[in-house]
Amino acid sequence: MTPTPQPQPAPSPRLADPTRGGAVPVARVRNVTKSFGQGDGRVDALRDVSLDLPAGRFTAVMGPSGSGKSTLMHITAGLDSATSGRVLLGDTDITGLDDTELTLLRRRRIGFVFQAFNLVPTLDVSANIELPFRLDGRRATADERAWIDWLVATLGLGARLTHRPHQLSGGQQQRVAIARALATRPDLIFADEPTGNLDSKAGRDVLDVLRTASTDHGQSIAMVTHDPVAASYADRVVFLADGRIVHEIDRSSAAEISGVMLDLERVA
Amino acid sequence: MSARDQLLEHRPSILVAALGTTFGVGLLGVTHVLEQIVASDAAVAASGTVSTMLGFVAAVFVGLALYVGAIVTANTFATVVAGRTPTIALMRLLGSSARDQRRAVAREGLVVGVAGAVLGTLVGLALVVVAVRVLVGRGQLPDLAYSYFSVGGLVPAVAVVLTTVAAAWVGSRRVLQVTPLQATDAAQDAPVAGRSRRIVRTVVAALLVVGGGLLLVVGVVVGLVDAMGVLIAFFGGVLSFTGVVVGAHALMPAVLSAVGRTFGTSQVARLAAENAVRQPERSTRATIGIVIGVTLVTTLSVALETLRSFIYSIEQDPSYAAELDQVFTTTLLIVAALVGFSAVIAAVGMVNDMSLSVLQRRRELGLLRAIGSTAGQVRRMILLEATQMALTAIVVGVVLGVVYGWAGAQALLGSANQGLLIAPTLPVPLLLGLAVTAAVLAGVAALVPARRATSVTPVEALAAR
Repeated sequence: MTPTPQPQPAPSPRLADPTRGGAVPVARVRNVTKSFGQGDGRVDALRDVSLDLPAGRFTAVMGPSGSGKSTLMHITAGLDSATSGRVLLGDTDITGLDDTELTLLRRRRIGFVFQAFNLVPTLDVSANIELPFRLDGRRATADERAWIDWLVATLGLGARLTHRPHQLSGGQQQRVAIARALATRPDLIFADEPTGNLDSKAGRDVLDVLRTASTDHGQSIAMVTHDPVAASYADRVVFLADGRIVHEIDRSSAAEISGVMLDLERVA
Repeated sequence: MSARDQLLEHRPSILVAALGTTFGVGLLGVTHVLEQIVASDAAVAASGTVSTMLGFVAAVFVGLALYVGAIVTANTFATVVAGRTPTIALMRLLGSSARDQRRAVAREGLVVGVAGAVLGTLVGLALVVVAVRVLVGRGQLPDLAYSYFSVGGLVPAVAVVLTTVAAAWVGSRRVLQVTPLQATDAAQDAPVAGRSRRIVRTVVAALLVVGGGLLLVVGVVVGLVDAMGVLIAFFGGVLSFTGVVVGAHALMPAVLSAVGRTFGTSQVARLAAENAVRQPERSTRATIGIVIGVTLVTTLSVALETLRSFIYSIEQDPSYAAELDQVFTTTLLIVAALVGFSAVIAAVGMVNDMSLSVLQRRRELGLLRAIGSTAGQVRRMILLEATQMALTAIVVGVVLGVVYGWAGAQALLGSANQGLLIAPTLPVPLLLGLAVTAAVLAGVAALVPARRATSVTPVEALAAR
């Protein structure tokens, strides 16, 4: 191996994603239906849903409780299987993958930020962030290490690396989860009500971090939320009701998003 | 929570109470029958002495089984209470006092104890009757008009009810710490418990271990000139081992961590190692019963084996050696069977502990699956965790047993060996048997939880409360 002199990593490393700009979708949902139960007890959580998640953009999925928004995101992220239809992540059709293939896909190509219980309580902050690499049986490479260090510094977690999750505030825990999700530079980050358990200040901080990851680093993000303020941080808001996509708007204020939600409630 | 769910949660405790009662009632039943045989035999004049001795031996082993059973039950109740925290918090929110809630748990302990005692009494008596009838039929026992039932024979059943209630009471201590607010806050997992700092207990344990250890050394030294040293060593052994059991909360987590480190640095091994000590008190109670059983059997086994080697080295007559073998083997088998019952109860406790702790970690396992642990990695993690506990318990027991067994043999034989030291003889079959036991125990403890943990989708697991 001949070591070639490398330039120092830029203070704000970018994700290598030539498709930034939204032309090529990072994930494509095609005619997905998800049903629970059989016969008379059958409930359709999703009915023939098709959706593109553009690369490098921050998409919010909104809808009332029971609209199917979480189910849609679970299926898109390879956490759940569709009854019919297809989901493509990049060029990979994930609908045909078995459990282990889906697990590896989640480990390497998707990042997760849940509402709560994001962190493994027995591991410290540093080990939680590196978990996806360690599960792969490896350590972060020098390049990945530099990226993680930058994330840790940017998210203000430098002094917390040896703390256990129960020693952190809710906002700090969510920032650790975001650091872990960003660490592998995944194709897509899936955030499920990431601010649902936070006070409004901590919630805004978390949303700012997600927004920055998308605008400055080209990170593709899909966020499920029922909070119009949270959705106002996204480039685009998709509305679900009764298992169908019923509306879609570009970046809007919280007031406008609330208006759309109220209209949907009135129709329902 | 429905009565059926409660029954499911308490099934292991009922099993433990029933096992303890079966053993106690059975052993006293056997003693009772033996007394009748001895009394019918005019040749044995000192029947009173024999019956006192039998009663004493039975009391020691039944006491041991009850003690181990109580540890297991206290642990199960503590775990059940931890799992019920949201329900208890809701009851507190609705106006129930903490003491009422704890009393309710203790009442469940009474029901569990009575159910187990009744079941165990029936099984224990039936076993004795069947065994005696079979032996009489084969002509191995005199055909007397045996009475199987004695009021004294029911003492173990009563003792089991009492110890189960006491164990439930101790195990339900946590109820007092549940606040009504926890009903509204579903957000956070209980923090990983720190090592328990029970200073008085630790100091007492340390004094017992050091004092007992010194006595053990004195016994060995005295034994170099006089075989009576074995008595001093015996008391030293009893004292120091009591210290080990009292101080188990300090010893077991430390050894568990050390054993966990030998499993390597892979993420799965690290998670397993952390899991085994995340609730130090729980892991301690889940393993100490097995340590007690293994220590006792190993002590006796090493002592007898060393004694046998020594006698072989000076006694050349083969027929005498064969006779000696027979006596030693019979003694060892009887004691192993008697101690084994306690060890089975302890093993039930460990299996149950693994099962409940995995059940209560559903959400965490869901998270691990979501962010990229394969089902195989989760299963391996649970198996490693169980292996760590089984291995730790058995290694600690073997180490203590070899020390005690050797010290006993040395104190007894030192003077006969011209005041020289004797190397301990390790009973290979016992060690092999214990290795197999560790593997089987770990496998059984991990099997059901591992399958259950990976049979649900990550989404279902994450939604669990």
